[in-house]
Amino acid sequence: MSNTLRPYLTAVRSTLTAAMCVENFSSQVVERHNKPEIEAGTSKEVIMNPLMISRNENEQVLIETSVNSVRISIKIKQADDLETILCHKFSRFMMMRADNFVILRRKPVDGYDISFLITNTHTEQMYKHKLVDFIVHFMEAVDREISEMKLSVNKRARTVAESYLGQFM
Amino acid sequence: MAFRRIDIDQYDEDIYTEEEILADAESGRSIDEINSVVDARATDVRNLLTRGNNSDALTKSLEDPPYGRNLESAKAKNIKTVVDVLNQFRANDIPTAIKGLNLDQQDVLMKYLYAALSKPEQFNSGMILNWHEKLTEVAGPGSIVRVMTDKRTVF
Amino acid sequence: MILLDYHNVILHDTLSARFESEKPEALDMTIVDFDGVLYHLSTPTSKTNIQISFKWRCFPELINYGANDILQREYGTMLVTPPQQGFDVTLNVDLTSLPQEAEAREELIRKVSLLKRNIMAAPFERAFKEQEQFEDEKQANPNPELMAVHYREDEAIYVKANQDRVTVIFSTRFKDETDRVFGKVFLQEFVDARKRQDLQNAPPVLFSTREPPLELRHLNLQDSEEMSYITFVLFPRHFAALDVREETISRIQIFRDYLHYHIKCAKAYMHTRMRARVRDFLKVLNRAKPENINVEKKTATGRTFRRT
Repeated sequence: MSNTLRPYLTAVRSTLTAAMCVENFSSQVVERHNKPEIEAGTSKEVIMNPLMISRNENEQVLIETSVNSVRISIKIKQADDLETILCHKFSRFMMMRADNFVILRRKPVDGYDISFLITNTHTEQMYKHKLVDFIVHFMEAVDREISEMKLSVNKRARTVAESYLGQFM
Repeated sequence: MAFRRIDIDQYDEDIYTEEEILADAESGRSIDEINSVVDARATDVRNLLTRGNNSDALTKSLEDPPYGRNLESAKAKNIKTVVDVLNQFRANDIPTAIKGLNLDQQDVLMKYLYAALSKPEQFNSGMILNWHEKLTEVAGPGSIVRVMTDKRTVF
Repeated sequence: MILLDYHNVILHDTLSARFESEKPEALDMTIVDFDGVLYHLSTPTSKTNIQISFKWRCFPELINYGANDILQREYGTMLVTPPQQGFDVTLNVDLTSLPQEAEAREELIRKVSLLKRNIMAAPFERAFKEQEQFEDEKQANPNPELMAVHYREDEAIYVKANQDRVTVIFSTRFKDETDRVFGKVFLQEFVDARKRQDLQNAPPVLFSTREPPLELRHLNLQDSEEMSYITFVLFPRHFAALDVREETISRIQIFRDYLHYHIKCAKAYMHTRMRARVRDFLKVLNRAKPENINVEKKTATGRTFRRT
């Protein structure tokens, strides 16, 4: 693990741990509604200051907290065209399976590649520290996965080119 | 259906607006006054740094941060002052420096760390993340919660 | 399976089965091949007479470049004139007068299943001949034209003979963003592969995206983000000897399909990877769920109940 990745993930972990103090909270504006306030945005006083943690300009996490929900948006590293495509494909692939990932948002927040939305229901049904573990694990694994996929595409391309041109011997 | 599009909340007298929330955080001083305070502090801090007095420079830089609205330039300047001080510390000296701060100063420092982290194009995140890690070890998650909940923001 | 076959496998297998079977049966089959080629197998007159009809959108162009000569040379008496209604070429195989030896039969099957390849060989053979005339000082230098074969919608092969080489240019279209990026990676590898010591003899490959290469400038092709142009430069060592020439023609023809096939394979592989990774993520997420939330519990009297 490179030396800036570890403090980056540590910072995300501690910030998430702090942010995940959420509780059940019914809407103050609409009778009998109970919605994630960070998404509804109807009462400003229950929304906390958003916090951003960045490793560099291309890798950032935005953590927006409200009284009953936390929204985590992740910007994944994309060094070139191929990585952009792979990242886009991968995040889309996951978001199409958002039903299984109960905390995954179906659309990322503007300017980010993937977003999670954790509400009080989730923290009541699941262990909070394990949810934090999941987000951190995700951030770690997604970088690795994308660079591995990129390598495999390059490697395949090389094998394909060499075996085609090799026939002309 | 036009009536459904009317924002009826604007007619509510008890509505708590963002304006009010932010107004609470203001110190009551004029913008010029705050600007001059921030400038003066920047000079003081620089003097302390040239004399090699890093820990005093750190406490000085965390004094009386500019809070409130319409203070973008003063806030940006103060963030820069704080980060310049942080840059002077060697990685091994960070824990000692943090232990020299009182609780309030630690909270203010935490605010500035997040402020710097949100501008990766301007500041070196690696160094800030290092500070963040050490500060969290000392001040705990409570300090982070206070950054999230305190409407007196530094950026 | 890294390399693709040159012949049509279905055609090959169907014919082999017919040749082997004792009792002739009626046949009516439509087969497709790469690049929008359509085959129709039928037994219109009697069960022992198999007709193989062939259709391709660029056939009229290929006739101009001498496809008929090749058809005559390769298939001779098997050709049926006029071809079946709606098709370009029709071949007839009489099951009663097949050669006896297994090898000759296999040869016949192979020939028929290479129908597409042989027709497509026309512009290549012509270009190679023209290049030989350049080499031969006794003959007057020919004036080679740029032969274009629009074998797919929006895509074409251009073949041209030059003083000391033959240039083959493919124009290919990557319909979506992913294909385009993958295509670029693959094509770059084709260009780079020649730097390897043991591939020095392979034809040089050049590629450009969007803008057509110099040779095609006069055609006023539309610039498009989706188009890529790949140029192969063939030198006499690639087509001087007859057997090398046949192989080169087959190989160059299959290039476009080969490239696209592997791009699709890369995408499919990526998909399986993503599936595995997502499964792994789900496992990690599910660790966050407390276990045994809803197990049956027993009361002191032995009755079971579920806590909800």
